[in-house]
Amino acid sequence: MATIDFKNVQKRYGQFKAIHDFNLHVGEGELCVFVGPSGCGKSTILKMLAGLEETTSGSIEIGGRDVTDLGPGKRDIAMVFQNYALYPHMSVRSNIGFGLKMRGVPKADIDKAVNEAAEILELTDYLDRRPRALSGGQRQRVALGRAIVREPSAFLMDEPLSNLDAKLRTQTRSEIVKLQKRLGVTTIYVTHDQVEALTMATRIVVMRGGVIQQVGSPDELFSQPANLFVAGFIGSPGMNFFRGPVEIENGKAFTRFGEQRIPLGQVPQKLTAKEAIFGIRPEHLQVGETGVPVTLSLVESLGTEKILHFATPKGQETDAIETEIVSDEDARDKKTMLARVIDDRRYHDGETIRIALPEGKVHIFDTVTHEAIV
Amino acid sequence: MKKRSLLGNFALYGTVTAVCVVLLFPIYWMFLTALSPRTQLRSYPPNFWPRDPQWNVFSDLLAAQPFGLWMWNTIMVATATMILSLTIGVLAAYALSRHRLRGGQPLGLFILTSKMLPATLLVIPLFAIFKSLGLVGSLWSVVIAQATLIVPFATWMLKGYFDTIPAELEQAALVDGCSPLGALFRIVLPVASPGLAATALYAFVISWSDFLYARTFLATSESKWTLNVGIATLKGEFVTDWNTIMAASLMAAVPIIGVYLFLERYLVGGLSAGAEK
Repeated sequence: MATIDFKNVQKRYGQFKAIHDFNLHVGEGELCVFVGPSGCGKSTILKMLAGLEETTSGSIEIGGRDVTDLGPGKRDIAMVFQNYALYPHMSVRSNIGFGLKMRGVPKADIDKAVNEAAEILELTDYLDRRPRALSGGQRQRVALGRAIVREPSAFLMDEPLSNLDAKLRTQTRSEIVKLQKRLGVTTIYVTHDQVEALTMATRIVVMRGGVIQQVGSPDELFSQPANLFVAGFIGSPGMNFFRGPVEIENGKAFTRFGEQRIPLGQVPQKLTAKEAIFGIRPEHLQVGETGVPVTLSLVESLGTEKILHFATPKGQETDAIETEIVSDEDARDKKTMLARVIDDRRYHDGETIRIALPEGKVHIFDTVTHEAIV
Repeated sequence: MKKRSLLGNFALYGTVTAVCVVLLFPIYWMFLTALSPRTQLRSYPPNFWPRDPQWNVFSDLLAAQPFGLWMWNTIMVATATMILSLTIGVLAAYALSRHRLRGGQPLGLFILTSKMLPATLLVIPLFAIFKSLGLVGSLWSVVIAQATLIVPFATWMLKGYFDTIPAELEQAALVDGCSPLGALFRIVLPVASPGLAATALYAFVISWSDFLYARTFLATSESKWTLNVGIATLKGEFVTDWNTIMAASLMAAVPIIGVYLFLERYLVGGLSAGAEK
């Protein structure tokens, strides 16, 4: 168990700056998830922490010890790779015990540790098999076994679930969380999947273009996104955005959605512009008797849960620059807004319904900086 | 797997048989020539099995010529060439495959240029170099000369193989506490064993069949002759004893078959399956 500190870490490839001034403190026993779209630098940071990539400047500390210039083997970390990277010419037993062997641990102790790890991961029956004779899920567990057997001060996991099918992924996700809690080892977990991040993390680091966008608990990121990017990236389906005027009356702020005036509550301190980008999560939109009339263009039914698609009011669509910032995972037509409802009512395409935007659920963002206005 | 039709089976086995016949016929003919009495060698129509097989041709050859010495010299040369070429090839290929070297791309291509020149062209400068080093007449001259031909190709063969091995395997080994060379020897090379075996076989066969370099550098030191140089001396100016030459050639081919049988199990690919996913 150890803390991990990144201090002004930068990474350049020639002229290209992959990581800009990365600062982060990860506490003991935390499960910290780095999340972001592909190419955001999350894997680079992990590899720098592992010692597999050199840092251009800045320092990395594990347990208060500066490891910036140490090789991967001397950092007392274990890593789980996206493709598992099991040694194909070795049995499961040798794969799990390899790290201990390299550290000169006596054979009897290796056997004991391997058997214990195998028991935790239910691999005891497969110890003498080669990796190719295992299923995807079993290989994944061998990769985990290789990490836990060494009792390192930190686990680094690079998208360890992305090669599993959906059902196994959900199952393994909770197994990893349980295992991490049981062992209490500080863990850095990299994923592009925000659902994984939200369900697993004690703390999430959202990255984009080599820059940290926001660090916080899953709840914080969901309810108080720091900027448009985080707001769009976290949550599935992502947040709806629309452009609107800012009107202030008696210390209260309002905007317009279609023909309707939407109350925003107390005027936020930083709200000075005449226009802003507003965001509301699909699950916060309310279908009812009052509200803005909209025509449904598509109804996706998942049983009791329905995703209703309707057009953003004319003139209020966000433009191309802003659409870029929304998660690539959830690419969707930016002229469409979504409402997520759970009820027994039947909706059908072309139907006109009324949508209300409840006060306190509307997020306000600056049109230029895209920062949240609070 | 889809079941083949009767016609498909027929075509498959027919093709395999035809290919085998074409490939094995020269060897059969060598065998036939070795066993035939001299008077029957050029008979027409040809005999497809000698009426009176001369089995003593092998023992006569061993008694009359230092065949064992030639064989020993050839084994030494081929083994040394294989080890030297593989050592250089592995390190060069690994560097080219894994490290983004400054000028690595042109350097990699440059390695191949010596392969593009005919061996005959290199004999003269090599002879001059070996003469000044005092290596002419030594088996090392042949080993080094052959390695200059084999290393470029071996490097590219191995680089191609290393490229298919995921870098994460070595990264995992590094995290597990291996040094970079340790990761190469403990992880990459065992995983690359089919590629290594193919390259080793290539090096061994090329070296074994070399005549030009051995003939040029070893001509004057009879005790260092390799099989090919030795067998060539069996051809006389006026009379050529074809059955002895064929018997010698057949015996010279035996070790190659042995090496192939030994390496064959490593040649089977697919060992790296299971590393990922």
